[in-house]
Amino acid sequence: MMYCSRRSFLAGTTATLALGPSAWAAERRRPRIAALTTIYHKYSHSQHIVDRFLDGYGWEGRHHRPAMDVVSLYVEQVGDNDLSRERAQRHPQLKIYPTIAEALTQGGSDLAVDGVLLIGEHGKYPVNEKGQTLYPRYEYFQQIMEVYRRTGRTAPVFNDKHLSWNWDYAKRMVETARELRFGFMAGSSLPVTWRQPSVDLPFGASVDEVLGVWGGGIDGGDIHVIEAMQSIVERRRGGETGVRAVEAFRGERFWKAMEAGSWKAGGWDPRLLEAALSRSNQLNSPRATYSNVFPRTEDLRRLAPDSYAYRFEYADGLKASIVQFKGNVVGDCNVAARIKGGDIFSVLFYLPYYTMRNFFSPQVHHIESLFLTGKSPYPIERTLLTTGMTAAGIESLFQNQRRLETPHLAIRYQPTRQSTFWRT
Amino acid sequence: MITRRAFLGALGTATLAETVLPVMARAASPPRRVAIVTTVWTYQSHAQHMGDRFLVGYPRHGRWHQPPLQVVSLYVDQRPDGDLSRQRAAEHGFTVYPTIAEALRCGGNTLAVDAVVIIGEHGNYPHNHKGQILYPRYEFFEECVSVFEQDGRSVPVFNDKHLSYSGEKARKMVADSKRLKFPFLAGSSLPVTWRLPPVEIPYGAKLKEALMVGVGGSDPMDFHALEAMQCMVERRRGGETGIKSVQLIEGDAVWRAGENGGWSKRLLEAALSRSDSLQGDSDLDSRPQDLANNGQLPKLVKNPSAYRIERNDGLRTTLLMLNGALGDFCFAAQLANGAVVSTQFFLPPTPNVTYSACLVAQIEEMILTGRAPYPVERTQITSAMLDRCLDSKVEGHRRIETPELNIRYRAPRGSRFGG
Repeated sequence: MMYCSRRSFLAGTTATLALGPSAWAAERRRPRIAALTTIYHKYSHSQHIVDRFLDGYGWEGRHHRPAMDVVSLYVEQVGDNDLSRERAQRHPQLKIYPTIAEALTQGGSDLAVDGVLLIGEHGKYPVNEKGQTLYPRYEYFQQIMEVYRRTGRTAPVFNDKHLSWNWDYAKRMVETARELRFGFMAGSSLPVTWRQPSVDLPFGASVDEVLGVWGGGIDGGDIHVIEAMQSIVERRRGGETGVRAVEAFRGERFWKAMEAGSWKAGGWDPRLLEAALSRSNQLNSPRATYSNVFPRTEDLRRLAPDSYAYRFEYADGLKASIVQFKGNVVGDCNVAARIKGGDIFSVLFYLPYYTMRNFFSPQVHHIESLFLTGKSPYPIERTLLTTGMTAAGIESLFQNQRRLETPHLAIRYQPTRQSTFWRT
Repeated sequence: MITRRAFLGALGTATLAETVLPVMARAASPPRRVAIVTTVWTYQSHAQHMGDRFLVGYPRHGRWHQPPLQVVSLYVDQRPDGDLSRQRAAEHGFTVYPTIAEALRCGGNTLAVDAVVIIGEHGNYPHNHKGQILYPRYEFFEECVSVFEQDGRSVPVFNDKHLSYSGEKARKMVADSKRLKFPFLAGSSLPVTWRLPPVEIPYGAKLKEALMVGVGGSDPMDFHALEAMQCMVERRRGGETGIKSVQLIEGDAVWRAGENGGWSKRLLEAALSRSDSLQGDSDLDSRPQDLANNGQLPKLVKNPSAYRIERNDGLRTTLLMLNGALGDFCFAAQLANGAVVSTQFFLPPTPNVTYSACLVAQIEEMILTGRAPYPVERTQITSAMLDRCLDSKVEGHRRIETPELNIRYRAPRGSRFGG
């Protein structure tokens, strides 16, 4: 109870009572959280996320301390730069366990936590022939499920980034969460970080075409741009209808698409690219002695020769391009969407990259809400779809950029009407 | 909450309709002719990252915007190694003149430009005993005024950063602009850059106290911080009423003042909660920390300073310069109803420094509309309060009554920040 203010405790209690009883509310105590992670070092995702639960973070003009305690930690890889031991020493309520099951039961036989953080990012893991890092998120999830099934109890789970590198695994994770009926939240921090300008797509707007740009990174980088873009377009008229095909572009095919001048001609709308790049705060200048110049196509070729792209066709006809400038063109993630009638909506997803990576603060804020209410503040289907889009895009790249039909991505869902990105 | 205005800000074409169309309509007529008057034009100098935007365009509302302006002449006071002025002149077809008068007359007999942009920042200039860099902005400005007077015509002038290191010179500059009736815009980019979150003081709100946290040296960076604070507090009930007194304290006296209620620790917590770059343990291993309350601040900040500025309407405002504690500029204020408003004035990274695109957009608007989008008195009062604070610094940190800073003005209601 070290950080428990009466106000924050009551806020948590009220929220949960309204949505149904849970063990911690019934017992009038703070929720206990388990964190399961691959590795815990400076700038790792677990450091950013778990530290915010342990040490608090700046939020709405206060140093906010979550009204819950991380009591158990599982860390698979402990290297010289490990911080988990220092964290456990400084936070006596936190104990490190050698297995996931023990972390969840605090060494006993029953599930002893009220929420689970699954953070499978960073650490040394094999990379497959397609370029995907085989982080063991699915394996961790399965071990959590073993405890849930064995004890007959569940707790909400947050899964950092995409659900898995593997579509079948991701699908099974979501199905299991539905079957066992626990709150399941996942995804990138990009959908919830600051935006410039601080706007969302008007709910129900008709969108014809959308484009997202960033600096590349098969799998690990792709999911961020795809999910940022998805968090915009899922608000379009009719809600999400799923993706029916994907085609990847690399090498000369990429540059042909870049110069095509439209989706119809095999590329993307150059106005969307201009809009996206014109939101950037990190646009590499193509000309010496100039600090902020819009690049021409020949500049892009020179600065980012290994660029690649994915073109996604949605079931309702929306066209989406993810343009990954691999090289030195753009250092931040930007999305632009053409609304029916020709207006272009564009926005930067701002990631403060200073001593603290505060784009994790709104994500942790939403995870707290998951743990207090038992419900994910935004649908897990978003991350299920973006996990599948990422894997499908990589598959197309791997299969010589062949266009692939994606009937398995016929995922329909409705987003929350209220925006969930950081703006307060 | 997403307002219609904010949404339109994200729409390239909608914004075109709102603000750029008048510009485009004018584009049919010949572009306005601009003279740039600067101390130095080297890579990453203000002249380069602002001046270049007139030459190669800049990002605005999701477009790469090319202003309907033509730089026709340049005066540059110093040409050190790395000078880019000749290269820019050759590439973009303008002329570098040996005097300001010739630049404004484009080598002819009479004023031949539609606007003057004065950028007197960077370059090798002496410091005085107060630590002020003696940039010749006043002198540049007065040469422009002299041409206006001789030629019987005045044009809009923008002056980058403070009007002058001297409050008295700043006063004369504003008086000249009013006497000759030309639009005059000045100041830092901080008031117009992005904010995290994008908030204003509610217009006309009664304020209890305001606090700004900044970093960097004097007098370049404290000016930015003071003007950022000024653009927030000028929106209070009754508008700006002028400065009653100033005092600059340093060292342990700063912490003692915080303990004794000389500035609000609650507001310091709010301001630091907006920082992305806390130092100490956050630098060590990236952990967030409650730096306002965890006792680390005096260890991190070896030489703190507090600029205490008391307003004629009784409002207390404080700038804390906390080198060693953080790397960004954050603001917090408490309203009379107890609510706390806080934000970070976001400075996008080098080399793009897109905060200067936000400022150039304001300059462009003044040139095209003939109206300064916000009052030059904001910059005048900030220049003068800084000058007097530095007097306090060298005069034993004494409190100085400032009846001469009786500068009253009303802020515009509309917001001007962000792109």
